[in-house]
Amino acid sequence: MKKRSCILLAALFLLPSLLPILSGCADDTVELRVYSWEEYIDEGGEGALIYDELHLTDEETGEAVSSDLIGDDYKAWYEDATGTPLSEEGPAILEDFELWYAKTYPDRPRVKVKYSTFGTNEDMYNKIMLGKEYDLLCPSDYMIMKLAAEGRLTPYDEDFFLTEGEGSEYNYYAKNVSPYIDGVFESGKVTISDKDESSEHSWREYAAGYMWGTTGFVYNPVYVDRAELEELGWNAFTHKDYRNKITAKDNVRDTYFAALGVTYQEELKAIEGDNAKLTEIFNRTEEKYIPDVRAKLLEMKGNIYGFETDTGKTDLASGKIWLNYAWSGDAVYVMSLAEEENNAELDYYVPEAGSNLWFDGWVMTKSVEKRNTKHAAQAFVNFLSMPENAMRNSYYIGYTSAIGGEKMFDYASYLYADDEAEDPVEYDLKYFFGEDLDAVLTADRADTLHGQLFAQYPSLSTIDRCAVMNYFDAETSKRINELWAQVKAEKLDAWAITVLAVAAAVIVLGAVFAKFGHKIDFFRRKPKKGYTLVDQKDPIRL
Amino acid sequence: MKAPRFSRKTLCIPYAVFLLFFVIAPMLVILVYAFTDRNMHFSFGNFIDFFSDPSKLSTIAYSVVIALITTVACLVIAFPVAYILARSKMKKKFVIVLLFVLPMWINFVLRINAIRELFNWIGLLGQANYFNTVFGMVYDFLPFMILPLYTTMLKIDDSLYEACSDLGGSWFTSFTRITLPLSKPGLLSGVTMVFLPSMTNYVVSDMLGNSKVTIIGKFIYEYFESDWHMGSMVALILLIVVFVSTLLSGGLKSEENVRGANL
Repeated sequence: MKKRSCILLAALFLLPSLLPILSGCADDTVELRVYSWEEYIDEGGEGALIYDELHLTDEETGEAVSSDLIGDDYKAWYEDATGTPLSEEGPAILEDFELWYAKTYPDRPRVKVKYSTFGTNEDMYNKIMLGKEYDLLCPSDYMIMKLAAEGRLTPYDEDFFLTEGEGSEYNYYAKNVSPYIDGVFESGKVTISDKDESSEHSWREYAAGYMWGTTGFVYNPVYVDRAELEELGWNAFTHKDYRNKITAKDNVRDTYFAALGVTYQEELKAIEGDNAKLTEIFNRTEEKYIPDVRAKLLEMKGNIYGFETDTGKTDLASGKIWLNYAWSGDAVYVMSLAEEENNAELDYYVPEAGSNLWFDGWVMTKSVEKRNTKHAAQAFVNFLSMPENAMRNSYYIGYTSAIGGEKMFDYASYLYADDEAEDPVEYDLKYFFGEDLDAVLTADRADTLHGQLFAQYPSLSTIDRCAVMNYFDAETSKRINELWAQVKAEKLDAWAITVLAVAAAVIVLGAVFAKFGHKIDFFRRKPKKGYTLVDQKDPIRL
Repeated sequence: MKAPRFSRKTLCIPYAVFLLFFVIAPMLVILVYAFTDRNMHFSFGNFIDFFSDPSKLSTIAYSVVIALITTVACLVIAFPVAYILARSKMKKKFVIVLLFVLPMWINFVLRINAIRELFNWIGLLGQANYFNTVFGMVYDFLPFMILPLYTTMLKIDDSLYEACSDLGGSWFTSFTRITLPLSKPGLLSGVTMVFLPSMTNYVVSDMLGNSKVTIIGKFIYEYFESDWHMGSMVALILLIVVFVSTLLSGGLKSEENVRGANL
């Protein structure tokens, strides 16, 4: 009996390791290799929308409450889409996709998603350069442009963008993407040079939006006066009132962008409604601009608390700092964290002069054609673009989805609409959700000006003044990185370097001398008269 | 039938393979990257860039200064501690040694985070970035100085001290003539083990100096985000600095190798 159960156990342990081999052999499965950010997709379980909504309890009585969002309609939709009933424990979206794909395309081979993650765009790029093959990537704006310009991407099929007629049945991306995001993607251009000819393409051909947002300051209103902050704008970085109380990002692109804001704030403010001009200023990377920006960067470095990549959120929540330059998605996260854990208020501010518009999007590499995964890759993007799934991802990550439409507006209303607010205002989000929808939220005035709603869905007047920062080509990249190195480096005067170099040389020479000096006759102590020098190593010879 | 005999040569193969793949090959890769440009053509560009850019030279000089201060501070603290522990007649002194070594068993990032909170509580965080960085380094590397010193001092024969005082030698004489020369190997290995890593340990400078203190390790890291060739060049130059300083401190002499054996 014992022996038998041992064998059974061993077999059980071995089974999972055999499964990939077995399924790999079968012809009817393709592997879709997805490479995306860490924590950037609904992984199910606690903290995911479905679990949280299905486990709602009444605050006073502690009894279970039924959810408006994940009600019977949603359950029916889910069962219809995946062919399985909705689990109370909250399913992971990747598994849902595999089920949905098998059910929707029964004639096609099944898809198995192999999902891996990266920490920065540069990590991802380096990994690809080393020859790792992925089908679907989720880089940020500038990295999409860089990959496209280098000819590493496969465009989406024309059918992918059909919104009606034959073949458009499952085009959830084309049908649901926010008109605003679609417009940005259509007007954004990238030049692709292919051996002898170069052609201009819009981003839309290569990328499907996933998450997007702005950059700005999350601040603690207890210490920071909103009126003063509005007065200062980007100059908050260099103002003495915020000395040691404000952080910048520890990466060259974000801090360079901020420094451009600081340097050219007056020029930016003078512009009225000309986004192209704003974009030009926020992309000033030519040699002639470097000295001014360098001076401002050094001034910023002297004034700020520090450069951070991740500590800013906790430092702000714990009160170490007052202002944190952040991406809107992180802003929403830290604002809700402060609200839930400390019952404290944090606000979000985007400089009036203009700020950064960023987005992450799905792009297909060249390997989709080689590995025959293009259909699966496009289906994956479409699946994530179904509003039912977009809200799950948005909820899990805390960032703003690029998907608009009625259902997503309902989701936004569910989160932020407040009819009983003390000071209710109408917040117009038609630009994002669609002009033909009545996408006007009634919400608390404060929330629409500097709260989570504003961070999640900025007003049209704010977003009109936001610019995308282009990718740096090889030459620009070298120039900006040199600048960054100079800013980050410790400044030592020429004399200090000389003194250190001389000291080092003296030490080296001294050590060499101490070691080998006695071997050179010249430095040997001469024996006294009448004495002979004895080789100490060989005294017996005497 | 004769049992198969393993000669020393065959037993060496695993180590040789390991060294080849994890030490020699990576170094060659660094070498190749350092002396090539973006298109993988041979070039001295990075080398010239490095020595013509004051920011890189000052950063490497600064790292050396920070490492020197760290080493001296560790030495000043560790030498008396090791001396007292080794010379005292107290029982259970291993408990005290253990107390000094104990922090090494706790995750390093956790400890630095704890210091960060502590400094914030005192009010030093963000105010004195250099002091914080050096403090963090000293705290982190102190055991690496104490242990080799302690183990070499423990080995000094008591009769030497007895002979010294019999012949009328003062405490000072016994210290300069016995303790100091005989603990030299421990001193050297302690210095090497503190000086070298404190030039590159940028976790400490990032966490305690709020990324405003840049040492050469961070520099290499940042270059590897965008330009592997320059990053490799900086890494190579650091390697040379490290090699020269190891050579100088006699760390390559085999007979005096006493690196903290009972870590």
